[in-house]
Amino acid sequence: MSRIVGRPVPRVEGHAKVTGAAEFTADVHVPGALHGVMVLSTVARGRITRLETRQAERSAGVAAVMTHRNMPRLTVPEPHLLVKRFLPLQDTEIHHSGQPVALVLAETLEQAQHAATLVRVSYDTQPVRTVFEDAMDDAWIPPPEEEPGETPVPNELTRGDPEGALARADLRVDVTYTTPIHHHNPIEPSATTAVWRGRKVTVYDASQGVTAAQESIAQALDLPVGHVRVISRYLGGGFGCKTPWPHTVLTAAAAREVDRPVKLVLSRSDSYSLHGHRSQAHQRLRLGARRDGTLTAIDHVTTQQVSRTEDEFLPSASVPTRRLYACDNLSLAQRAVRLDLPTPAWMRSPEVMPAHGLECALDELAYAADMDPIELRLRNHTATDPETGEPFPSKHLKECYRRGATAFGWSERNPRPGSMRDGRIRIGWGMATAAHSAGGMPGAAARVTLSTEGTAQVQVATQDIGTGTYTVMSQMAAHVLGLPLDDVDFVLGDTNLPYASLSASSATVPAVGSAVNRTCTKARQKLIGLAVADPRSPLHDLPADGITAEEGTLYQTSRPERRDSIRAVLTRHGRPLDVATEAPEESGEQYSTGAVFAEVRVDPLLGQVRVTRMLGAFDPGRVLNRRTIRSQVIGGFIWAVGFTLTEHTLLDTRYGRFVNRNLSGYLIPVNADIPDIQALFIDQPDPTSQALGARGFGETPMCGMTAAIANAVHHATGRRIRDLPLTQDKLIASAS
Amino acid sequence: MSDNDEAPIGGHSRRAVLKTGGFAATLVATGGVLGTAVGEGAGAAPPAPATEVTLDVNGRTHRLTVETRVTLLETVRERLGLTGTKKGCDRGECGACTVLVDGRRVKSCLTLAVMEDGREITTVEGLARGEELHPVQEAFIRRDAFQCGFCTPGQIMSAVACIDEGHTGSDDEIREWMSGNLCRCSCYPNIVDAVRDAARERA
Repeated sequence: MSRIVGRPVPRVEGHAKVTGAAEFTADVHVPGALHGVMVLSTVARGRITRLETRQAERSAGVAAVMTHRNMPRLTVPEPHLLVKRFLPLQDTEIHHSGQPVALVLAETLEQAQHAATLVRVSYDTQPVRTVFEDAMDDAWIPPPEEEPGETPVPNELTRGDPEGALARADLRVDVTYTTPIHHHNPIEPSATTAVWRGRKVTVYDASQGVTAAQESIAQALDLPVGHVRVISRYLGGGFGCKTPWPHTVLTAAAAREVDRPVKLVLSRSDSYSLHGHRSQAHQRLRLGARRDGTLTAIDHVTTQQVSRTEDEFLPSASVPTRRLYACDNLSLAQRAVRLDLPTPAWMRSPEVMPAHGLECALDELAYAADMDPIELRLRNHTATDPETGEPFPSKHLKECYRRGATAFGWSERNPRPGSMRDGRIRIGWGMATAAHSAGGMPGAAARVTLSTEGTAQVQVATQDIGTGTYTVMSQMAAHVLGLPLDDVDFVLGDTNLPYASLSASSATVPAVGSAVNRTCTKARQKLIGLAVADPRSPLHDLPADGITAEEGTLYQTSRPERRDSIRAVLTRHGRPLDVATEAPEESGEQYSTGAVFAEVRVDPLLGQVRVTRMLGAFDPGRVLNRRTIRSQVIGGFIWAVGFTLTEHTLLDTRYGRFVNRNLSGYLIPVNADIPDIQALFIDQPDPTSQALGARGFGETPMCGMTAAIANAVHHATGRRIRDLPLTQDKLIASAS
Repeated sequence: MSDNDEAPIGGHSRRAVLKTGGFAATLVATGGVLGTAVGEGAGAAPPAPATEVTLDVNGRTHRLTVETRVTLLETVRERLGLTGTKKGCDRGECGACTVLVDGRRVKSCLTLAVMEDGREITTVEGLARGEELHPVQEAFIRRDAFQCGFCTPGQIMSAVACIDEGHTGSDDEIREWMSGNLCRCSCYPNIVDAVRDAARERA
């Protein structure tokens, strides 16, 4: 096998992306398509009493104004497809502010935008509950979520005797951490274009799950799944908000009603209430430990917002508390409170909320124990998975601490808060463990076609959300088939291709990577079979297991000069070689870890925090592509900067309305906020991985880095601010 | 697509839309029921004013009749089919729509096509010379300065201008002058590397 895997090859779709040739959903030109603009509710709870659309309908260029009156009745897709439990434009009920009440369709976008301002709506409103803190007394523990292909995880768990252990502990930490609402804000807004031909529909959708979108549309419109084709070849980020949401289904339904293609691109502002958010959350952590830092008890209670319309959906699971450290006595509760707000969503690194609490609380424990925070984590390291009692198949976290600390220069740190200064600027160094689960989603299928020219096309209905799926899957296929990278074409983003599930839960490598490896291995075996069976091949009659495939050539492993080209084998065969494999029910669940370090500089007069250094050492299993994996680290770290320092969605609690529905009020980090970033990798294959030793990894780096930054701010200032984001006002207030 | 393919279409000017939108938003903020006073009878309003403009886009001259409310962004995407320029926010915050107007970087969502009559526009499609990529495009690939690629055309146009402006004296200067272009995949350090590389190549 050739050594294509691991090489930092540039992205195979790079040329298309830098020239503007890459066609994203809103770029697809469909002649005659109407442009859609949503009209959203201005109240959070109640009923529509009057809906006046006449003026809008008469406005120039308007083809139709779709409302609950003229939309067909639709079926709400199953919860594992659509987390939101109702579809808008079906009745007069209003469940949250920013819920669609009309969809204006016109010949041009400007006409639709104008006509949308002419729609008049009156409501009969009901009192709303929108303040998270007010609802805390009614928090409850939902039953576990049941999803096909996934193991249900209980929302309540007790191991040992946590209360007794807490009472007996030498050291105790009892802290509450709070985090605000966040919005995904991919730079590509969600977009859908639906084109009907007879009873069949093609839907171009900015989707991080084309098969899930396909099933959602089929269920909602009562169509056979085969009548719906969903295409998403280039996806402008998703971060959890481009799983199926109602606007996709509504676009397809509206296009059928008006008998014209319809294109709907959500405005930035609309996107804040149409495809979820990271819930506001509250968490209380009680840690008990011996004087030497050994954890004897953890009690972790998280509470997160849900809406009134869904029951068993808690996007942020306390996996780090359950799996990351050895602790015999543990209790864990994941609670929910219902507010009159939109349904939440998964958002990049869903485990980051509980991870932030745990990793900050451990820093607090390190100070209580007068111990180095790395030493504390080493003391509580576990080689066995506390969930199962089985050893982790491959865990190099200790090595991550060591290599990360050395590269960062951690030994130079004076642990006393406020002790490191540069003039009036306080310098802080913080660290944390990074960890996130990966996979555990439905498995993927794949098809490989080797042409008579000796090239391969590999097909999977997955997506490239920006992580590098096109590139690393091409590398894996080339590696396993023994072809040069240029001779492999990886095709994705189309439901006509073999099944894959969502690009989510760091599952693409475990699910799609396994499918590519499995299918290409089978294709290589068939190819070798053809060669050794062919009297015209120099490899004729050799044992198949003694043949190696590399860089377009098959050769006898023990005598490499005895060889045949893959192209020649296939040309003589005279027809393409086609191999497909089915999707297993589940892709394996994995756990990728690392150690992360941050340096901040804090101006105590202004309360301003600048992150000046970020470094991580990680164990992602085998590294498939050093370039794209480094970009995952950079991305996760920068998301951590946003999470910790700048991002929060503000709510007008009177109307349950998000206020800063834009990118000037909702502050995602910009280039000037970000310093140099260093990423180190252990690069040891995980023997249990079906994807050439690689594990899912994309969500690991953000987890931990939020706490490393917050811990660095504490180290710089001596202030422990437990309410995110750490904005200037809070730092100034804490200093006075 | 021909260069002069559409008749003026009825409707309101963009300014009028913004005004009504603003007024509606004020009413909305009171939480009350929206009255019918705003835009009453607007359906019978005169057609949106349109005018003829000449735009030189990527070296090709286009004579178009456009409604005065239509942005440069919508014009290049919808009328000229140049979809490399992206719409991320439509209010000048994200920079995905950055193009060059007479060599200056401009957010095309904040510019009406009529305001650019007679000017030279360069979009991402106009950078490469045939098969040969622009050094900034090469550097973006080499440095993995994008992930999803959606903000990339805007980043690249901004980078070309940033180098022309001479704002590449240090990494900090690059960071500052590239901060009008958001990247949610968060490739910023790689973007700085790419801009530094391309600037050196030019020097």
